[in-house]
Amino acid sequence: MATIYPRRKALNGLMMGLCIAAAAIGLAWLALILGALIYKGLAGVNLAVFTEMTPPPGAAGGLLNAIFGSVVVTIIAVIIGTPIGILAGTYMAEYGRFSKLTVVVRFINDILLSAPSIIIGLFIYELIVRPMGHFSGIAGSVALAMLVIPVVVRTTEDMLNLVPNALREAGTAIGAPRWIVIRSVGYRAALSGIVTGILLAIARISGETAPLLFTALNNQFWSSNLNAPIASLPVTIFQFALSPYQEWQQLAWTGALIITLTVLTLSIVARSLTGRKEG
Amino acid sequence: MTQMVSLDKIQPQQSVGQPKIEIKNLNFYYGETKALKNISLQLPERSVTAFIGPSGCGKSTLLRVLNRIYELYPKQRAEGEVLVDGKNILDRDQDLNLLRTKVGMVFQKPTPFPMSIYENIAFGVRLYEQVSKSEMDERVEAALRRAALWNEVKDKLHAGGTSLSGGQQQRLCIARTVAVKPEIILLDEPASALDPLSTAKIEELIDELRADYTIVIVTHNMQQAARVSRQTAFMYLGELIEFDDTAKIFTSPQEKRTQDYVTGRFG
Amino acid sequence: MTLAIAERVESRRDKVVRHFALTDTIFHWACRSAAVLVLIILGGVFFSLVSGSWAALSKFGPAFLTTDRWSPVTQTFGALAPIYGTLITSGIAILIAVPVGIGIAVFLTELCPRPLRRPIAIAVELLAGIPSIIYGIWGLFVFAPFLQATLQPFLIEVFANVPVLNNVFAGPPYGIGILTSSLILAIMILPFIASITKDVFDTVPGVLKESAYGIGCTTWEVVRRIVIPHTRVGIMGGVMLALGRALGETMAVTFVIGNSHRLSASIIAPGTTISATIANEFTEADADIYVSSLMSLGLILFFITFIILAVARYMLLRMSRQAGA
Repeated sequence: MATIYPRRKALNGLMMGLCIAAAAIGLAWLALILGALIYKGLAGVNLAVFTEMTPPPGAAGGLLNAIFGSVVVTIIAVIIGTPIGILAGTYMAEYGRFSKLTVVVRFINDILLSAPSIIIGLFIYELIVRPMGHFSGIAGSVALAMLVIPVVVRTTEDMLNLVPNALREAGTAIGAPRWIVIRSVGYRAALSGIVTGILLAIARISGETAPLLFTALNNQFWSSNLNAPIASLPVTIFQFALSPYQEWQQLAWTGALIITLTVLTLSIVARSLTGRKEG
Repeated sequence: MTQMVSLDKIQPQQSVGQPKIEIKNLNFYYGETKALKNISLQLPERSVTAFIGPSGCGKSTLLRVLNRIYELYPKQRAEGEVLVDGKNILDRDQDLNLLRTKVGMVFQKPTPFPMSIYENIAFGVRLYEQVSKSEMDERVEAALRRAALWNEVKDKLHAGGTSLSGGQQQRLCIARTVAVKPEIILLDEPASALDPLSTAKIEELIDELRADYTIVIVTHNMQQAARVSRQTAFMYLGELIEFDDTAKIFTSPQEKRTQDYVTGRFG
Repeated sequence: MTLAIAERVESRRDKVVRHFALTDTIFHWACRSAAVLVLIILGGVFFSLVSGSWAALSKFGPAFLTTDRWSPVTQTFGALAPIYGTLITSGIAILIAVPVGIGIAVFLTELCPRPLRRPIAIAVELLAGIPSIIYGIWGLFVFAPFLQATLQPFLIEVFANVPVLNNVFAGPPYGIGILTSSLILAIMILPFIASITKDVFDTVPGVLKESAYGIGCTTWEVVRRIVIPHTRVGIMGGVMLALGRALGETMAVTFVIGNSHRLSASIIAPGTTISATIANEFTEADADIYVSSLMSLGLILFFITFIILAVARYMLLRMSRQAGA
């Protein structure tokens, strides 16, 4: 006893020290990345970034068309993906709560949720780009919608499952048909959770690059034509960062900062929405 | 079989009115498990009937057959006949939504919808009726008055239903049920989650409602059954053991098991 | 008179009932179709990849998996280099990120002062959501030059005369390459592993830990003997999920891998991964057989990640059942 205990204590001290070190190093590392991002990104933040088009090599310019393209492509992706996601999630939590289909869909959806996004890009290339014969903004939107759907399905199902069964029975007992119970009782009770899911989905796709590379491609100029290649922030960053031009690299950093702030803001808002519900 | 015979003998006198609900040879299954065994009984109109018995005896299950709320879940099914005004509600062609406007239900835990007090009541009314704004105001007020809640909430009709106390929430649920003008009201242990004071209010309310509605109440509280009901059905292990006037059940039951239960020897 | 009104109400009711029956059926089918669509999407991914890769797979056959020649000029393609690169980068990343991630989780659940616990946990979760392109651009401009100047020359020198290891750490320090990609991947999946491990650690019942402390266990012994055994399946699920992410990760890797189809024993040398190859070359691929070869890479990646993710989900499902029971 007298000899064992000091050894146990020493081992404990060692392992706990390692855990603290892991936490310190891991968090410091991540802080380092954010620090570099802010430092390098802020250096290029000026009005021109938001008012001028992406420049030709070696010239000054901004990211306006890329930001615009990203917003358009993202909005359309959400418009396509959200209703499908909500309906599928509704099926799983309501009509199909006890059906085998739900179990299968849940499993497949979870796989889609973490499937490599570049594969989604290839899928949409085969599905839309190749038949159409050219890259297009709408193909980019559909590709991103494929990433929105699993996130929204998951949160919608989870949130509707949190609605007490008693409430569902009460709505039914008043004589309301199932879909009105879902609309007026289920969705209302799960609203903040579902909105959170949509925000998280937007956060997820606003930084996605891989699925856009060969769907929406890129565009040096202002374009709002969804039937043609359209610029997006992530793809522009990708292209500019790998270029040898100083101005382009700076714009890439600034674009990266914009994306990160957008994603962090969305995640924080999403989090505070559900937080309020719990509290 | 002997039970069937004895049952016929002990049907309560029909002085209280015509049978509103007539249950004939009802069996109920949860998957493979038989939860109700050959239940037959007649519930008179405009009167309060209590279902009592130890937990798991099937009293709630029987209640949930009367508005077919069990249909929300798979693998639950009822066989036999349940006649409401002579029409078998277990028929395939029975529209469930319509059935439930006729047979209202109030649950064990208060279940206000996630909307305002006003909307909680207007929601059900609006489903099947086209009502003008002023008419709706009247309907809401009438329902809340009926549930003895009007004075407490008239100044905050647009506050959330969940902002009320537990007892108030339960009366809101009763108001909501009454507002759609049902003929039958099912109460599933409506006071078991409430404090004694709120319970007393609910019981008072039941007493007032019985003039206009056929009321069926499930309760595990025997005093409550004795206080509010005119007839009582005692159930045990999915069987209807005895059904008679409440006074008789509690003072001179025919069956030994009923006597054991009401005197507190088991359950 | 009242009878007439009653009749009107009755007929309106009938109309409403029919309307409800119809709308409910429509909504039911809309929901059901959307759910089925989720299945169709995954099926569609699979079939489009198979049809896209048909030309290459039928031309090269099984050799596609075992050769490392990747030549757009002669139109011969073999996937060995990207497959190797994908597995080795993800493998190294997992080896680094798992112990550190678990360390962070232990720190958060057992050691961290209570007021700091939530903020740090939230920060870790937020970091898990940062897009991978951010890690990529940081890796390219900050991390790779740093490695080129410090760690890589050091490794090359230290292991110069050690057999085997001198081959693993051979070559000029390019900065970019397999090792750099692995480290970036490790950093990227770290918050992910940490937050999922913390979540499964939180499922350990407090009484269980308290009773272990009650018989005089140290914190490490509680973690080692109670918490980790209790959550083993969940941790494994989380690790597999992170592995799935690392395998399919594109942007964090593409910037710093070097895109070289030469197989090298050295982990300092440039290499490539499946996703980096597709990202770099897809829009430049001119010949059909070239596109088809890239599609085949996608199909291979799909298979690998599908299996890994399926196993991960299965394990997490078992974990949540265990927690529920």
